[in-house]
Amino acid sequence: LNAAPGRAPRQQIRFLPAPAPGGGGAVELVATRVPVLADHPLVRGPRFRKLKIGAGHRLDVKSSGVFVLGIGHGNKLLTDLYNCHLTKVYTVGGLFGKATDDFSDTGNLVEKTTFDHITREKLERILAVIQGTNQKALLMYSNIDMKTQEAYELAVKGLIRPMGKSPPIITAVRCLQFALPEFQLEIHCLHETQQYLRKMVHEIGLELKSSAVCTQVRRIRDGVFTVDDALLRTQWNLQSIQEAIRNCQLKVETELEKTL
Amino acid sequence: RRGLAGAAGPPSTRQLREAEEAAPVFQYAGKAAKRKDRVFVWGFSYSGALGVPSFVKPDASWKKPRRIQPTPYRLETEEKISSAACGYGFTLLASNTRDITKVWGMGLNKDSQLGFQRSRRDQTKGYEYVLEPSPIPLPLEKPQQTRVLQVSCGRAHSLVLTDSEGVFTMGNNSYGQCGRKVVEDEIYSGSHLIHQLKEFDSRVVQVVCGQDHSLFRTKKGTVYACGWGADGQTGLGHYNITSVPTKLHGDIAGVNIIQVSSYGDCCLAVSDEGDVFGWGNSEYLQLASVTETTQVNVPRHLPFKIGKVKEAACGGTGNAVLTEEGNVFVWGYGILGKGPNLIETAVPEMIPPSLFGWSDFSPDTRVAHVRCGLSQFAALTNRGELFVWGKNLRGCLGTGRMEDQYFPWRVTVPGEVVDVACGVDHMVSMVRSF
Repeated sequence: LNAAPGRAPRQQIRFLPAPAPGGGGAVELVATRVPVLADHPLVRGPRFRKLKIGAGHRLDVKSSGVFVLGIGHGNKLLTDLYNCHLTKVYTVGGLFGKATDDFSDTGNLVEKTTFDHITREKLERILAVIQGTNQKALLMYSNIDMKTQEAYELAVKGLIRPMGKSPPIITAVRCLQFALPEFQLEIHCLHETQQYLRKMVHEIGLELKSSAVCTQVRRIRDGVFTVDDALLRTQWNLQSIQEAIRNCQLKVETELEKTL
Repeated sequence: RRGLAGAAGPPSTRQLREAEEAAPVFQYAGKAAKRKDRVFVWGFSYSGALGVPSFVKPDASWKKPRRIQPTPYRLETEEKISSAACGYGFTLLASNTRDITKVWGMGLNKDSQLGFQRSRRDQTKGYEYVLEPSPIPLPLEKPQQTRVLQVSCGRAHSLVLTDSEGVFTMGNNSYGQCGRKVVEDEIYSGSHLIHQLKEFDSRVVQVVCGQDHSLFRTKKGTVYACGWGADGQTGLGHYNITSVPTKLHGDIAGVNIIQVSSYGDCCLAVSDEGDVFGWGNSEYLQLASVTETTQVNVPRHLPFKIGKVKEAACGGTGNAVLTEEGNVFVWGYGILGKGPNLIETAVPEMIPPSLFGWSDFSPDTRVAHVRCGLSQFAALTNRGELFVWGKNLRGCLGTGRMEDQYFPWRVTVPGEVVDVACGVDHMVSMVRSF
């Protein structure tokens, strides 16, 4: 960053003595533009000594996916984005037949169960119930008076969401793949933690009269940032970062304007 | 001191894997695990209509009487209930079994709408309030062969439809709603009389009770009515009472009607081609699309351009229909389900499907049935979810809150809702467990 050409030094207008045109001896004051010495790179030193980096929504060690970081002045945008309360999308992979103490496949085994009776239809029924109860929670925690016309209109458009603190709420669940004993779900949620999603997989297993552990949690969207915008490990260099910031700027601005 | 027989450090991966494979496997779902059918009730309980005696008369000293059950409560029944109906403070449950006991009733019995329930204290008198589902003795000729298909309840009378022995009626008959001649000064309380109706042009396939009138729909698609007619709800062309079921004409003459509905004083009928016909009370703009009069005593075709109608439901002041595409249209007066601003309309307004759980994620979700109580509506989706809206009279909506609900709201029921019956201040639903 410091090697990049910096800002041109500020110019100031000073009245300098210069020899007058024509006769010698007499000195005139001529206005000229002169660079300010305080801005000279040798005086000032390197432009960037420290970088402030802030993190967006947490992502724990066993999960993967999109992780939003803010640099420098972007940290202010981070708090605004948090207040927008946008949904995050995860792909969660699960495995039937096992139950562990920390709900993931690396924990200590608690119990093994049969799972041949589980069909995709039964799973989808349970997912519908989860969506239903979470829908109710969504409306309840949004603190909107249900008796008003605005509440009705927002409910029709599906825009009611809690704008303050609330327990984890799942707005939509979908079964992407189902191949016994593995299955994969796409979950849209608010205010959640990855451990809550693993617990959700465990509870789905219990509801289906079996047990399940979570094998994979991957965040594919965090508000406006999707996997396509995210930078891979090989792309962690200055050019890619700057390009990514530029690309996302417009999206972030429109989203903030829409919500706040 | 550590013994030398055990392992030295933490178990290696191979040891963990072997331990895992050696762990016993538990089976929780048996081979014959079937989805059970259950009945859930909620609403006002002091009339006994919920069928849980401990709500009215607690059986333990620490229990307090529960006036209102705000969320669905499971009711234990002996048989699988196939049909239920809620009246004004009483409930009928029917099973299509071949056993001798086919119908159970609970709630108000002041007009013998639940038949004669012999009191244990005084053998000559009957119970006025029945707190538990009690069998209703029907005078069947072949009790071990006839099946009860459907039950329906009105304000103070009930109808039971069987497959081969016609319709049985009991309860108040002061307006002829039981289909028999009105007897002056008849005392209905503690009466043993259950009337049987058999003379129709073909087999009766649906019975519907309005507030004080009864409608019968036969297999040929004709509709018969009897009972009070001061609002024209009998549809027979006059405003008098009728004590014998008489065929309706008007705009439904010759039309094959596939469904009839009524609960208050207005009636709706749906034909096989998807047209809607209405008659009866129109004080709340239910029939204002065809006429300005407030009582219509002849069935009139309602020219709505909303598509082919599959099912209709009449409430006390508002009506709802369900189209083939799965959309719900409401009109009339009261809390119609489109927010607090829509209080009355004469033309059907559609309720947006997104309120019933339709979204980009589940575009197949659609409403499968609609039902009406006196001032509330209920809708069942094809995913087995129950949505209710309307006036929350004494907790009858089952949402857990006591406030009125201005747009469709999910009721949390542990299972897939198969059918629901709405009353004035309570509701009964039949649910299949997961």
